[in-house]
Amino acid sequence: MTLLALTYDLGSFLEENWEALLRGLVRTLQVSAIAIIGSLLIGLALGAARAHRIPVVSQLAVVYVEIIRNTPILVQIFFLYFGLGQFPAMRMDVFTVAWLSITIWGGAFQTENFRAGFEAVPFSLREGGLALGFTPLKNFVNVTLPVGGRIALPSTINTFIAVLKNTALLYVIAYEELTTTAFQIQALTLETLEAWTVLGIVYLTLVWGLSLSIRLLESHLALPEAA
Amino acid sequence: MIFVDVPEWADPVARYLIEEGLVGTLRIAAVALVASSLIGITLGTLLTIRFMPTRALIRLYIEVWRGLPIIVTLFIVYFGAPLISTQFELDPYTAGAVTLTLWGSAQIAEATRGAVQSISRGQHEAASALGFGWVGRHVFVILPQATRRLIPPLVSLLVGIILNTTLIGIIGGSELLEASKRMVEVVNAPLPTGFGDRGEFQIYTFVMLVFFLVCFPLTRLAAWLERRLVRA
Repeated sequence: MTLLALTYDLGSFLEENWEALLRGLVRTLQVSAIAIIGSLLIGLALGAARAHRIPVVSQLAVVYVEIIRNTPILVQIFFLYFGLGQFPAMRMDVFTVAWLSITIWGGAFQTENFRAGFEAVPFSLREGGLALGFTPLKNFVNVTLPVGGRIALPSTINTFIAVLKNTALLYVIAYEELTTTAFQIQALTLETLEAWTVLGIVYLTLVWGLSLSIRLLESHLALPEAA
Repeated sequence: MIFVDVPEWADPVARYLIEEGLVGTLRIAAVALVASSLIGITLGTLLTIRFMPTRALIRLYIEVWRGLPIIVTLFIVYFGAPLISTQFELDPYTAGAVTLTLWGSAQIAEATRGAVQSISRGQHEAASALGFGWVGRHVFVILPQATRRLIPPLVSLLVGIILNTTLIGIIGGSELLEASKRMVEVVNAPLPTGFGDRGEFQIYTFVMLVFFLVCFPLTRLAAWLERRLVRA
């Protein structure tokens, strides 16, 4: 068994498989990008609805958030791909399920992040905006969003990171993103350690890079103390 | 149509999902929770010592296991451990419990660091004045007080662990999602061996419901404890 470790050669592994791995990485980033933007939009809309207690939408948002947060994302992926796939009319291809499942998952968490952020905006600020003659919508865009959005920023970026990591779960429906690609190559070539080295380096670089960027962004965007 | 006619397989399938699946899920979750708490609280407390090498090592541990997707960690543990020595060939349960413990202990270590540092300097000094050494001071004085802040994240971690046990099905461990995959196969198989019916939608909906019924009360409990214990 130790022979496997002795033949460790990352260079030739990359040389032979870089095209497949790069294709996987591009797919990982693609699904992540769609899911990050999609979940951000869902989060902003439903988070605002929750914070402003808009009837019906607010209650539906609670149901959505609680279902997604209290069931495993893996089961959600299975439900979308196999469960709904039982009905011909609702059958979706792998790519659709891939971005849709991750977006729906991220959207629930972003809704909660933005709700908390918007609710943390001091009422006096919103009152001040209304006193200046802003309509409720303009008040949201000009007052609640810039202040509450910054309050929500750290948790929002943590959700982005979680979204990125969750794309690895698409392995279960054989969507060929980075993890699936690496596991497939490993199954063919038995170059296990090399495959993991690539996965480890890529994911940790992306995750650590993102969390470093929050810290930089945070100090840049932080609210002045006396806000 | 789907919900009105209860198919004949509904009862045995539901029974199998609960007895085989849910029990497997909760068993792994219990082990991982206890192990994560012990390791996480120890590492988190050690992280408050101002000694560079240990801090750097513990930081690395936390950032690696939090940074990797759990599925990647699971494969590393399950297929990687036997590469070191054939003695370490783990069964899916053990590999799953180890993986969730690596991930969970990283979360708890971070929470513990914050909780320990929130205890005022005076408590440390008073304990030292009473003759406690570093270990005694932390075990008998600091950690009992820090527990107040640790209980809500521990309950949230339990939810996280329960949700993530579903990954263990990928390497063949018996948990709720894996049990449901098996039942889908049984239901979909042609008549003599199976039921010759389509059951994916019903079964996966049922699995979502079971997870929700287990996790939702725990999530509410964590939120309630957070309000009661931390802000009190």
